[in-house]
Amino acid sequence: MFNRKLNGKVTQAELDGDVFIGVELSPAEKKEAARELAEYRASTKLTDKVGDSLIQHHIRARIDTYIATKKYDPAMSFGYFLKEYIDKLDTKRKDFAEQIGIDETLLSQLINGHRLPPDYLPIRLEIQSDKNISAWHWYKLVAMEKEHYIKTDQEIREKQRKYVHVPQYDKDGTRKGKSKSALVKR
Amino acid sequence: MEGGEGVAEIYKLHIEEEEDILGVMGLVDFPEEKRIEIRLLANAKENRGQNKVYDRVAGCLIAFACNRAVEKYERDACVSLVPKTNLVKHYMHKYRMVHKGRQLCLEKEALDHIVNKYFYV
Repeated sequence: MFNRKLNGKVTQAELDGDVFIGVELSPAEKKEAARELAEYRASTKLTDKVGDSLIQHHIRARIDTYIATKKYDPAMSFGYFLKEYIDKLDTKRKDFAEQIGIDETLLSQLINGHRLPPDYLPIRLEIQSDKNISAWHWYKLVAMEKEHYIKTDQEIREKQRKYVHVPQYDKDGTRKGKSKSALVKR
Repeated sequence: MEGGEGVAEIYKLHIEEEEDILGVMGLVDFPEEKRIEIRLLANAKENRGQNKVYDRVAGCLIAFACNRAVEKYERDACVSLVPKTNLVKHYMHKYRMVHKGRQLCLEKEALDHIVNKYFYV
């Protein structure tokens, strides 16, 4: 698969950038190349702006990976990713709450899963991240949580049952209490 | 594989819900160096040359490698490749790669730029 020669013959597709076949280095060359690269990387500076942007890409990629599983995981909640995001930005919760225009108490409730986010929050988070994490990503986390809850929560079903009058039917399948005229109209 | 080198993974690029492959790429992860190396990249035949059906396939594949790196290594993410000598300028010019020793690399601002330009449009 790999070409051993650094100065090997190149095809037109390679020159056009449509194909790339990496050069295979010897173990000694690899070691030296790794050292050279590490030295260079240690010498370059990361600005806060780029650092924040990389963290936003990181969080978005992790949300994408989770969404792609199509399987709800209670550990991967909106609150979890929000906490991860704030922690990795190395920002105080108070400052972050200010950035998105909410009370710090609400932010804590969201992080701890005591409240679901209001509709405007994914939009504010998208704006705060300069669109690097879209509102859709944040919304999708909430949607997965709600979908799971709607599908599986038995307690809420029991609570709501008393408010619902399930239609009763006669043996012949006629709904009880329904007048004959209503049946005709239908 | 050498020490510290992860297993090579092959990825294909295709349009959602379509089977046609637009391009493929082989990546090797170096967790100790927080680096992912592109070993192989190939556009599908119809996406090569001047009459290609889809442009930016190679860029999207490189951006995918960058996104993988940033997902794993956050601010320290790095993508590299070892090109033949006469291809160095192409990758430096087109993708803002930096030539260091034998390798070309993307990290920090350049890597962020590639993700923004090609991955999420």
